[in-house]
Amino acid sequence: MSRPALRIAMIMLATIGLGVASYLTYVHYSGSPPVCTAGGSCLKVQTSIYSKLAGVPVALMGLIGYVAILASLLAPENENTRFATLIFTLAGFGFSAYLTYRELFSIHAICEWCASSAGIMTILMLLAIWRFLRGAPESHDSPLAGSAQAPRAAQLGAN
Amino acid sequence: MSPVDNEEDLTRKQRREQAREQRKAMEEASAAEASQRKRLIQLGGVAAVVIVIIAVILVATGSGGSKKAPAPASPEAKSAQTAVTSLLQGIPQSGTTLGNPNAPVTIQYFGDLECPICKEFTLGALPPLIQKYVRSGKVKIEYHSMETATREKEIFQTQQVAAMAAGKQKLGWNYIELFYHEQGEENTGYVTESYLQGLAAQVPGLNLSDWSSARNNPEYANVVISDAQAANRAGFTGTPSFLIGKTGGATQKLEYTSLNEPASFEAAIEKQLKG
Repeated sequence: MSRPALRIAMIMLATIGLGVASYLTYVHYSGSPPVCTAGGSCLKVQTSIYSKLAGVPVALMGLIGYVAILASLLAPENENTRFATLIFTLAGFGFSAYLTYRELFSIHAICEWCASSAGIMTILMLLAIWRFLRGAPESHDSPLAGSAQAPRAAQLGAN
Repeated sequence: MSPVDNEEDLTRKQRREQAREQRKAMEEASAAEASQRKRLIQLGGVAAVVIVIIAVILVATGSGGSKKAPAPASPEAKSAQTAVTSLLQGIPQSGTTLGNPNAPVTIQYFGDLECPICKEFTLGALPPLIQKYVRSGKVKIEYHSMETATREKEIFQTQQVAAMAAGKQKLGWNYIELFYHEQGEENTGYVTESYLQGLAAQVPGLNLSDWSSARNNPEYANVVISDAQAANRAGFTGTPSFLIGKTGGATQKLEYTSLNEPASFEAAIEKQLKG
């Protein structure tokens, strides 16, 4: 996958995740039951004691997380922004893993919105790791390579 | 310079060039390797920090801590008692029914006393409904049991029966309201015998001896079963769930849009009152 295509794919995923987190945040603050095919599971998860951490709704935390990821993806690409995306997605993945654990073993209910967000975050994290480890396009042609090519061209010209 | 010298010179130049290119290639490879190593270290560092943070969150939220009912004289209990007394004072009660027995509209509230969503409703949309419709005698609310949040069947029955036993002294709703006001954290096993008795001690005017005797009445256990059957017939999958209808007439599901705002409940009540 080309670097621009990878970045666009990640931006699209982060946008979908942002939509899911926005909806869950809206549901949390409005008190209305979430649209859910799994009966009352979503409502159970959304209103459980684990729906807040230190008084802050986890849906809002997710929303902030996706905004941060999206901002790091939309910023001009360099080593720092790739590293920032990696940090945000790794943190998001860790948090999603914690919430999924709580759903399975503490609340005993799965919220499909939360599960979809966890899935998106997992893919985003894998792509961010790949993107970060690939490095910059210029890393294949390091600054040294540029200076090496010059005398070679001069030589070819001389020949 | 002779052509032979030129050739020798070119060969020397080519060798030098080749050696330089090899050196550059090695330097590039070495730089790339160092860069990759640095990225892997950064990745490992971030992953380790995230793991530590999640572990801390898990430990901090893990046990939840079991919550006992506050002592009747504690500020927390006093505050809950004041809120509940002021909400229910002067409203007739019978068993777990709140309101005028001849109210034209009846709402059946299916709940689990350990259910945090029910607490949200009880402390959110319910008080304005009680003030507006129950106090004025237009609506009565019947509390029915439906097990959702409580994990252990026995504990569920015990806590629901405790509320019904208070209902024998026309204080069932005081017990229900206090339970929700002081509700502990889900799945922490906070509902124990001392918790239930602690709550009972906070209900003003409740004769504890009579309440304890009433809890042994097998009829209440049957009510829990019949409530579960009614919830099943209505197709309820979670709590709180509601049925509404004219008193003594057919009922229908009450669909709500918010547990904090009474608007959707008010609309359903008005429809019944006008219909």
